[in-house]
Amino acid sequence: MEVSHSVKERTIAENSLVILLQGLHGHITTVDLRDESTATGRVTNVDAFMNVRLAEVTFTDRQGTVSHLDELFVTGRNVRYVHIPDEVDIRATIERQLQAIHRVRYFGGRDKGRKEFPRAKHK
Amino acid sequence: AMSFLKRFPPPAEGVRHQQPDTEAVLAGRTLGAGTLYIAESRLSWLENSGVGFSLDYPTISLHAVSRDLNAYPWEHLYVMVNAKFEEEESKEAPMAEGEEDEDSDDDVEPIAEFRFVPSDKSALEAMFSAMCECQALHPDPDDEDSDNDYEGEEYDVEAHELEQGDIPTFYTYEEGLSHLTAEGQATLERLEGMLAQSVSSQYNMAGVRTEDSIREFEDGMEVDVAPVVAGQFEDAEVDH
Repeated sequence: MEVSHSVKERTIAENSLVILLQGLHGHITTVDLRDESTATGRVTNVDAFMNVRLAEVTFTDRQGTVSHLDELFVTGRNVRYVHIPDEVDIRATIERQLQAIHRVRYFGGRDKGRKEFPRAKHK
Repeated sequence: AMSFLKRFPPPAEGVRHQQPDTEAVLAGRTLGAGTLYIAESRLSWLENSGVGFSLDYPTISLHAVSRDLNAYPWEHLYVMVNAKFEEEESKEAPMAEGEEDEDSDDDVEPIAEFRFVPSDKSALEAMFSAMCECQALHPDPDDEDSDNDYEGEEYDVEAHELEQGDIPTFYTYEEGLSHLTAEGQATLERLEGMLAQSVSSQYNMAGVRTEDSIREFEDGMEVDVAPVVAGQFEDAEVDH
């Protein structure tokens, strides 16, 4: 999944397990919502706030009624669990996402390119 | 008419998407035809007569594009809201998708289900995406993870590991000395004095005070003025 354009979001992701969820891009995943409904679909985006966007979704509401949704966006606040698919290697996924973030951060070489972090005051 | 409908002007700023000729439905009951405004500040729908309602993004749990005609006969934008909306006074025919009375359980949060049915079905993608963008502008302020405060200076983990960080982890003696305030230098002298003493006296405990080093401490801690007698800690089990 493409790394966020926002420095803040990259930093949040790098320091939380959201980074794992971001690595699930393209995988079919089940998301359990806070109100006990569930949504199973293909992950198309997860942002630093754990907002999850799914495509081709089978949605089971809290009463058990099943419906199909082309696309679904759940706010992070309402996500209770995200099921990690069995085929996903968790550690490799996290490492890959971290590498993607670092590639963006150090684009152009270590001392070239855009500086992500404000410099401390020099003496 | 629904009691929560009000007259207000359409939003003027930050409107990411506007969809005219869109029916609004709440819990299976139509509210009429109007225009949906997907603005950065809130989601608004105004009936052609000029009355409508707004939804704040933090109250929206999820939204979706539904093209499943078995579930609902028209393709629409589905929006689930964490709030109660008054329906008409007659509370007959509780529908499967309605909320309120069915859930006598007080722990269950209120849920209101809106459907926005545009006459132009091809607009649903754009409506959905606009909502995603606006929703992302309103992250949950109640997020328990307080570590998400990254507004200040950021910690460059990798730079520190490679000792290329902008913030030096240690100074050379000359560099460091120049950073000290007068008081800092005095403290440094005192500490160095203590170290020098302790080499000869064999006792090197922090806080050991000699006659030379008694000073008033800025933090107001009471200082024991009586000098420490050498040998006081002879029986201490500390190994140096």
